[in-house]
Amino acid sequence: MISFDKVTKRFGSNLALCEISFDCAAGSVHAVTGENGAGKSTLMNLLAGIFPADGGEIRLRGEPIAPERPSEARRLGISTIFQELTLLPNLTIAENLFLGREPMRGAMVNRRLMQERAREIMARLGSSLDVDTYCGDISLADQHLVEIAKGVSVDADVYIFDEPTAALNAPEVEKLGALLESLKAAGKLVFYVSHRLDEIFRFCDRVSVLKDGRHVETRATLSLTRDELVSLMVGRVLSQFFPARPTPAESAPVELGVRDLQVVEAGPKVSLALRAGEIVGLAGLEGQGQRSIIRALAGLHPSMAGEVTKNVAGEMKLLKLSVVETVMAGIGFVPEDRKTEGLYLPLSINQNIALGMLPRLSIWKIAPTGRNLIADLMLRMNVRSTSAGQEVGQLSGGNQQKVMIGRWLAAGINVLLLEEPTRGVDVGAKTEIYGLLRDFAHRGGAVLVVSSELLELLGLCDRILVVRQNEIVAELEGAGTSEEEVMQYALTGHAKHSQASPCLN
Amino acid sequence: MFELIQKSRRSGLSLIVLALPITLFILLCLSSSTFTRFENLANVNSQIAALLIASLGQGLVAISGGIDLSVGAVMGLTSAILVTVDPALAVPLALAVGVVVGLVNGFGVTLFNVHPLVMSLATMTVVQGMALAVHPIPGGTVPAFLRTMAVSRFAGMPAAFFWCVGAIVFAWFLLNLSRFGLRTYAVGANPISAGRNGIAVIRHKVLCFVLCSLSAVIAGIFLSARVGAGDATMGASYSLDTVTAMALGGVQLAGGTGSVLGVVAGVLTLGLISNGMNLMGISPFLRAALTGVLLLAAIGFQRRETIGA
Repeated sequence: MISFDKVTKRFGSNLALCEISFDCAAGSVHAVTGENGAGKSTLMNLLAGIFPADGGEIRLRGEPIAPERPSEARRLGISTIFQELTLLPNLTIAENLFLGREPMRGAMVNRRLMQERAREIMARLGSSLDVDTYCGDISLADQHLVEIAKGVSVDADVYIFDEPTAALNAPEVEKLGALLESLKAAGKLVFYVSHRLDEIFRFCDRVSVLKDGRHVETRATLSLTRDELVSLMVGRVLSQFFPARPTPAESAPVELGVRDLQVVEAGPKVSLALRAGEIVGLAGLEGQGQRSIIRALAGLHPSMAGEVTKNVAGEMKLLKLSVVETVMAGIGFVPEDRKTEGLYLPLSINQNIALGMLPRLSIWKIAPTGRNLIADLMLRMNVRSTSAGQEVGQLSGGNQQKVMIGRWLAAGINVLLLEEPTRGVDVGAKTEIYGLLRDFAHRGGAVLVVSSELLELLGLCDRILVVRQNEIVAELEGAGTSEEEVMQYALTGHAKHSQASPCLN
Repeated sequence: MFELIQKSRRSGLSLIVLALPITLFILLCLSSSTFTRFENLANVNSQIAALLIASLGQGLVAISGGIDLSVGAVMGLTSAILVTVDPALAVPLALAVGVVVGLVNGFGVTLFNVHPLVMSLATMTVVQGMALAVHPIPGGTVPAFLRTMAVSRFAGMPAAFFWCVGAIVFAWFLLNLSRFGLRTYAVGANPISAGRNGIAVIRHKVLCFVLCSLSAVIAGIFLSARVGAGDATMGASYSLDTVTAMALGGVQLAGGTGSVLGVVAGVLTLGLISNGMNLMGISPFLRAALTGVLLLAAIGFQRRETIGA
């Protein structure tokens, strides 16, 4: 259906894609995978009409194509579900689904027809959302569902799913699986861009691996094992994805104590303690309050009640929860959306790291450039860049995240709060980030992580706290628990009673 | 009405936006015996017609994520053209000038990436200068047919009433019923996302600026005809007044939020305050000062949110 023939794309002097060639057949789900910065999104963007190729040819049923605009790609029968949401918050679900191809009645938009068809589309995805709701008013997971619905509702021959599950929970991923099956059965070609191995093996027939802008291999997924795929992606065998967990030290001092914290009015109270040297995870379904809890501790989300104490030089000090106060006390926060909430994209790596050290200095002090410290940090964290003066906006997701974490390390904090630490980060950088966090904990730091990737929490954390409806319903040993057990608590709030397996969908 | 307010995510309407003009109306009824006279109400209508027409255009640009400070200058140039050019050519020429100014604003903002505030400030200066060069001293006569269209009565109602209704109906259709309106909200909320949905963002924004300049031309035609003379600086206060009226009407300058009803409410609020101060004999200079305060207050009270997150 689609063939790539020596496709090349350059960004400035940077070779993003180098002579990519492979074929994809109709009636199949074709995974495109690789580390971040490998060029998989770039390749798909060529097909989606975001920018043109610099060399080579893309053929659709043997005919060369070169869409210049998203609308042109759509006309050619290529529909894209973008990684970044393209929904407009001030449009309803129905309006978003049909934006750019509104059904008309004369000069007017035919709203009734639009709503009717929107309801059909959403029902097909098993969603009962009111199509007249504004997209800004629904949860992130639902927004992703609408985004998928929008892409699928276009009558196309080729569908591109660019990391569709980044913000989806298990039940929605199941629905997505069924959807992919039905597209496949209808003889469509589906590109599935992802670096989630589970999904590649579950959903996809064939997989093309890219690395550093080059095509490594295209194989049937059935002929591959997980380890083989990972080594194709990373270029080396991953003996251990997560760093080893040390044996817990019972006597380690509490670094951060939380008592009766309330993040919603009249809501349940949350208590927890973070000890030096441990990594603790907050697990749960999307929107159950994990985020509010960690943000409250970072001073970004208002807390209704509660007492937070921080170990300052051996003494537990009561904290007022404001950003200034928490940073001064040595608590660093790495937000989920590092691009808008965390980093200064147009500034250099140097400046980004130095800015983290500033708040804890007197305002009259000359700003430190800390070249040695920064060079040392970048080396330790293996930040891949041309120089410390490079703009952070030009780095890949994984390297940006390393700079973000490095900034707090340079600032000398000892409690690190992280939201989705490896979102949009490739496999290779993931292990490095896990290693960094473990290393930080090993030096006496305490880490609290919120993540929607359960496997990440299971592999990384010493303890997992399961949050459900703003309440901690379970505390589990990271090494001793399972995906199933955590999901059981996350869904029902209590342990399994009977032998019947919990219904995850 | 409550349903309208509930949908405030897009309309920007709130109880205050709608209650403000109503409250002012009631207060004026109670405090001044002359206010409710048909003559005065007709007068208020005439006074706000030009502001309403220009504000609807400004609102469109604002919803698409821009701002146009050149509307006042365009009104002035329109006025200058009306009294200096052959009556048969005056209106088409003024409209053509509007299209050109809109295109310049639109392309400057989209293709050359100039901030709309700076872009329209620049065109404002150019257009204002040209207007003064064409017609330095107020005076001259506006073509008779225009004057008839602006000041006569039809079926007992002042002509201004029909100008207003026409503008409102057109803007309403554009924003709420047409594809263009839906896409304007999309472009204003997030141009990148809108582009990925297959909307020609540049063309769309340029079109919004052109429509805004055209509405300024029409406002200029009405105002000159009503006054009966040409004045190159006639629109001076309108650039800021339209922005203030919009802000009072809950239209957000960040783009993506606003409604025709809101703009109408904002224009009424500003118009009633003007008229009220006039009836009470308060200096027009203070009125100008108050407009600035109102703008700040309206922007300050707007419930803002980051759109596109």
